[in-house]
Amino acid sequence: MHLRAFLLYALRAVTSGDRRYHLWMGSLTAVMLGGGYAYLVQAEHGLVVTGMNDHVSWGLYISNMAFLVGVAAAAVMLVLPAYVLKDVDFSKAVLLAEGVAVSALVMCLGFVMANSPGYPWKWWRLTPGIGLLNWPDSMLAWDVVMLNGYLVLNLFIPLYILYSHFIGEQPLKRKYVPFVYMSVFWAVSIHLVTAFLFAGLTARPFWNSALLGPRFLASAFTAGPACMILLIGFIRANTRYPIPAGAVDKLAIATTVAAQANLVMLLSELIFEFYSPTHHSISARYLFFGLGEHDALVPWIRTGIALNIAATCVLMIHPLRRNPRVLMWACAALFLGIWVEKGIGLVVPGFVPSPLGEIVEYTPTWVELWVTAGIWAMGLFVLTVLVRVALPIELGEARSPYLEAPPPARGARPRTARPRYKDVRPFRTR
Amino acid sequence: MNHAWRRPAAVALVLGVFLGACREGHQVRWDQLPPGTVVIAVDSATSVRNAALEPGALTTVAADTVIGWSGPGGRPFEVAHRTGGPEAGHSRQFGTIALPIVLRVGTPALTQYPCTSCHAGSTVTMAPRRQADVHQDIQPVHPDTTGGVCASCHAREDAQLLVLAGGKRAPLDQSYRLCAQCHFQQVEAWAGGGHGKRLDGWQGRRVVMACTDCHDPHRPAAQPRIPFRAPELEKVRSTSP
Amino acid sequence: MSDDGTPALPETLPDGTLLQKPVDRRGALGLLAAGVVAGVAAASACRPLNASTPEERELKVLEWQEFTQKHYRRMTESERAETVRRIERLAELRHHEEVTIATTDAQPGVLFGYAFNISKCQGYRNCVEACINENNLDRASDTQYIRIFEMEDGVVNLEDADPTYQHEAPAEGHFYMGTQCFQCANPPCVPVCPVGATWQEPDGIVVIDYNWCVGCRACMAACPYWARRFNWAAPEVPADEVNPVQHYLGNRGRKKGCVEKCTFCIHRTRKGLLPACAEACPTGARVFGNLLDPDSEIRWVLANKQIFRLKEELATEPRFWYFSD
Repeated sequence: MHLRAFLLYALRAVTSGDRRYHLWMGSLTAVMLGGGYAYLVQAEHGLVVTGMNDHVSWGLYISNMAFLVGVAAAAVMLVLPAYVLKDVDFSKAVLLAEGVAVSALVMCLGFVMANSPGYPWKWWRLTPGIGLLNWPDSMLAWDVVMLNGYLVLNLFIPLYILYSHFIGEQPLKRKYVPFVYMSVFWAVSIHLVTAFLFAGLTARPFWNSALLGPRFLASAFTAGPACMILLIGFIRANTRYPIPAGAVDKLAIATTVAAQANLVMLLSELIFEFYSPTHHSISARYLFFGLGEHDALVPWIRTGIALNIAATCVLMIHPLRRNPRVLMWACAALFLGIWVEKGIGLVVPGFVPSPLGEIVEYTPTWVELWVTAGIWAMGLFVLTVLVRVALPIELGEARSPYLEAPPPARGARPRTARPRYKDVRPFRTR
Repeated sequence: MNHAWRRPAAVALVLGVFLGACREGHQVRWDQLPPGTVVIAVDSATSVRNAALEPGALTTVAADTVIGWSGPGGRPFEVAHRTGGPEAGHSRQFGTIALPIVLRVGTPALTQYPCTSCHAGSTVTMAPRRQADVHQDIQPVHPDTTGGVCASCHAREDAQLLVLAGGKRAPLDQSYRLCAQCHFQQVEAWAGGGHGKRLDGWQGRRVVMACTDCHDPHRPAAQPRIPFRAPELEKVRSTSP
Repeated sequence: MSDDGTPALPETLPDGTLLQKPVDRRGALGLLAAGVVAGVAAASACRPLNASTPEERELKVLEWQEFTQKHYRRMTESERAETVRRIERLAELRHHEEVTIATTDAQPGVLFGYAFNISKCQGYRNCVEACINENNLDRASDTQYIRIFEMEDGVVNLEDADPTYQHEAPAEGHFYMGTQCFQCANPPCVPVCPVGATWQEPDGIVVIDYNWCVGCRACMAACPYWARRFNWAAPEVPADEVNPVQHYLGNRGRKKGCVEKCTFCIHRTRKGLLPACAEACPTGARVFGNLLDPDSEIRWVLANKQIFRLKEELATEPRFWYFSD
């Protein structure tokens, strides 16, 4: 009864909205359709339609996957303080973080699927029992387990809480807190496992570094919260959902610290590679300086690093960081910078030159770009849906119609806790 | 990278004869055969493997006329020599494609400069020195660059016989006995398995080719040629999917 | 091409703890269930459901069976035979090719090793040609398992070497060094596979179940010798050039989206023949044999020659040695 009401409500919530909302969802759907078509082309003809080849055998897909696992993992930056440390500032934002994690994971799994040609159902061979999951040997098997597990955790916890609120009950701590603790460890693990997927390969000296795991964490805890700050900024600007400014401030500080750590590790890698260059430094040379006429990645990585350094410097200056507009731009720069540094800037140089010294460069094709865009659109679509369903419940505006007496609106904070933003518009639900 | 076989062969010749003589009776038994050593003649018309495997197709030579020595671990091995004319190339099957591997043919009869094609009579006695004014057409690289003459390897009374150090004679198809006198390292590796070509798979009887099956005795070094097509690193598929 | 003396599947497979679990009826049912869901989706997505001719119907059934087939190492003898028959029939239906696919197991007491004489190789690439023909390598993308690197005398450095030389070989002052899959004793490509589609056979050959491979290419990233190739599209071999003598784990037709590699010509070497590259080499630079046989040529080379292996520091223990005269 309640469940049916919940589903009906959710359906209504995601299908109704103002014109801007419909335009947004419509354009996401259009991009998804484009990506879907590109995926069909790729499934039919094979990956020959991508820019990948025997030399550079992973490209844009795995790059995005590596980056997005980080974004997903960064939800722990809010889950830990909100649930475990009971930080009131984060208690509202944590739902958004879990929404970001879910959508990032959907994208990750999408990229893993897209990376293998053909139709995704051949992955039944991964199912233990009927298939053969090469666990614990294979880091990719670990990754699949971790990603799916983290997805389930991040779906279960917020859904349980939301549903409880929807049917007018207090969520029972004993039912979800154990999973919260699990998700904290899980978050760190998914990203470390993804790092080990690369770092464990002695064949690729560019990745085969003990620093890769920590570096993945540092960059994840930079890009993830940066993404959260952007999202919170948007929510605060466009809805009545009360996220205290303190949450943004704390997140901004965390982002700054992580970005600094990330730069320190980058510097450490640079010194390691270039102070006394060995044969193993050749991929780094390709990435940062190019090898002869082969220098496709040089502008990308330099832009990425410049964005990272500039944004980190801006964030380190308190008045600038506290300025919401500057903060947004800095976070966007960080997000982009990390995407370059940890995406193609990490994956592609591992393959250039090949282990036998042959240099073949990688340029993504339109098919690849469309599939990538489609998966990103899918992620944003999922995120929008989740936010759309969650916020009215948390605002106390959506309750199961089967409740006898609607409880007082939850989550409505005193006016003093309202955001500082002037242009607060009412959240429209019809 | 040690192109041992390219080192000045004159030195090797002297050394080789000396060392070869020293090794006499040690490991290399020039005139004594391990029991069971067999020379097989491979008909170029049939595939090497089939010929070698079908008992009827093999020529088993009586042990007392065959030369060889034990391979690794003291196991006897077999030496193949090819019958047929010089044009008889030998091809091998890979997939459905036959790759010709034209081998120099070492037969019991002279093929490159047969004396009887010019000289009448069954026997011609070779001059002790090179007769540069009459044999302009014979310009072998091998003896000329090493200070040798025809008679260094061929018996003067019968060019179809090889002459070994100390004056012993050997038939043409026992080139390894002659070559080993200088190129003892190569022949030792050949007997062991590090040099030369095994014909009959990796398993079972070990059948190897003799020196002159691969090396032109008058021009032994491998000759440059255009190789099979190179890989294209940035290969664009030739056909659209 | 009969495999009369084929031994039964060993009770315990090397390093295959995962595989010792037999698939019981429940597992089979689960497989069927997953297969039904997936197959219906596949069938509806790929081609119209109404198959008109009996051959099309047969093809559909066989493709369905192929999609749901077990991991090769979990198959019983009869299942192997059935699988092989199915693949042979599929080759006939799809490409009108008559092929014979063996499932010959490793010979007991055999461990393959390879040695490559860098002073003898003249860079003719006859091995490359033989390999392409023997192993039905994709002609459209010109897949080659073997690379021959031209190097300057005195320097063994792959990054300065030229694998694409087109001039007459051998070139003055250069030597040639061939690479292919080294069938490492400690293969880094094997553990990374998420579905266990690649493994090492008892005779040392690292093989792939092409039907089981999901095409993630983790093994390609893991190989320090760039020995693996991917089928970026469906491979193309002209029908009259197909080598019909095939092995399930070797040169049989590959599909789009699976990884393949050199198997030391498993269909030849398990019958006692030399790999095509060794057979084709006109210089005798390639020595192949059984490492467990003290009388073998490969053992003589290892005992008597100065040898080295590529990237020894990675502890992959390749069963492929380089030596010089």
